[in-house]
Amino acid sequence: MRQQWLHGFLDLSLLSLLAERRDYGVGLTERLSAVGLGEVPGGTLYPSLLRLETQGLVRAVREPSASGPPRKYYELTAPGRAAQVERSQAWGHFRAAVDAVIVSAHGAVMEGTS
Amino acid sequence: MTSAQEWGAQVRDRLIDSGVEPGEARRLADEFLAEAEDAEQDPAGLYGPAVPYATAVARTIRTTATRIAPLDRVRGQVVLRLSQVTKRYRRRSVLRGVDLTLRAGEVAAVVGANGSGKSTLLNICAGVIRATSGTVERTPRVGYAPQQHGVSPLLTATEHFDLFGAVQGMDRRRSQSIGNQLSRHLGWAPRPDVIAGHLSGGTQQKLNVVLSELSRPDLILLDEPYQGFDQDSYVDFWEQVFTWSEAGAGVLVVTHLLHDVERVDHVLELPKAEES
Repeated sequence: MRQQWLHGFLDLSLLSLLAERRDYGVGLTERLSAVGLGEVPGGTLYPSLLRLETQGLVRAVREPSASGPPRKYYELTAPGRAAQVERSQAWGHFRAAVDAVIVSAHGAVMEGTS
Repeated sequence: MTSAQEWGAQVRDRLIDSGVEPGEARRLADEFLAEAEDAEQDPAGLYGPAVPYATAVARTIRTTATRIAPLDRVRGQVVLRLSQVTKRYRRRSVLRGVDLTLRAGEVAAVVGANGSGKSTLLNICAGVIRATSGTVERTPRVGYAPQQHGVSPLLTATEHFDLFGAVQGMDRRRSQSIGNQLSRHLGWAPRPDVIAGHLSGGTQQKLNVVLSELSRPDLILLDEPYQGFDQDSYVDFWEQVFTWSEAGAGVLVVTHLLHDVERVDHVLELPKAEES
């Protein structure tokens, strides 16, 4: 079930991480893992980034790195910033509604046991 | 060739086969390799096996790419009206009193068990066979993808596009450009040198679906086109159906797996035919 949830929220999570600061692929994987979303496989992460790029919400910038090939950094475009704000508000409303349902179910269970 | 290069070549080929422009496919494959090198990982380890990864990437590009600009079509006009349509084969009653009014911009799904007369009804709508009684009224501009015999085995996909476009007075360049574009939306890049008889069953069905839309008809009749489609193409197919209806075509789909009942305007369920 977690996997399905992540599938639905990965775009918003990436937009939000990039709203905080631009990053490259491995950096994003590490940050997702650090907040507790687990190790997101590259096969899931990169198509998501590509989708955001095709939608014009994210832009990729290549910069030379000290070691190895130029590193590809992802950053939000202006429409990407607007989408991040809009989607996080929509998520807030949805989460509040789900919380309300869970809390009332919890209340009913407590009454039943007392 | 190193294993990374081999992975990259597989991704590139699979992307091209899925309808991504070759230049774009090469660019993407190179970028994936560069990214893996930067992450100091083997590409197969970072992204997973080449073919499924490329399939996922191709799908991402397809669903977010701009759709073909819809042509203006009059909405709300009735494109198909069936009144009390029946069909009997000798003593066997296949269809009994079917009514349906389909307007431009609507999708109707015809469902029912095998042998309930779904294909018969579609053929009656297309005018290929006659109803025993009742009336069928429809718009003159109809696209039709039958379950079988829709393609000519000795012609290539490109020749099919020429032929079907010519019927509508389109020149070859336009027919081919629209045909190739529609194919790419179903995740298929037709090759110029392969005849239809050598295509897989699923790909022949894709060609069929493309031909049914090539002339931008007002009414599109589709028979079980998901047969032989893989899961992703099946989802693409329904996206394509709704793209057509949003562009103003009326679409009648015969199916026994109804994908998305809320988005369909009419569901016509046929009872199993009975001996009488």
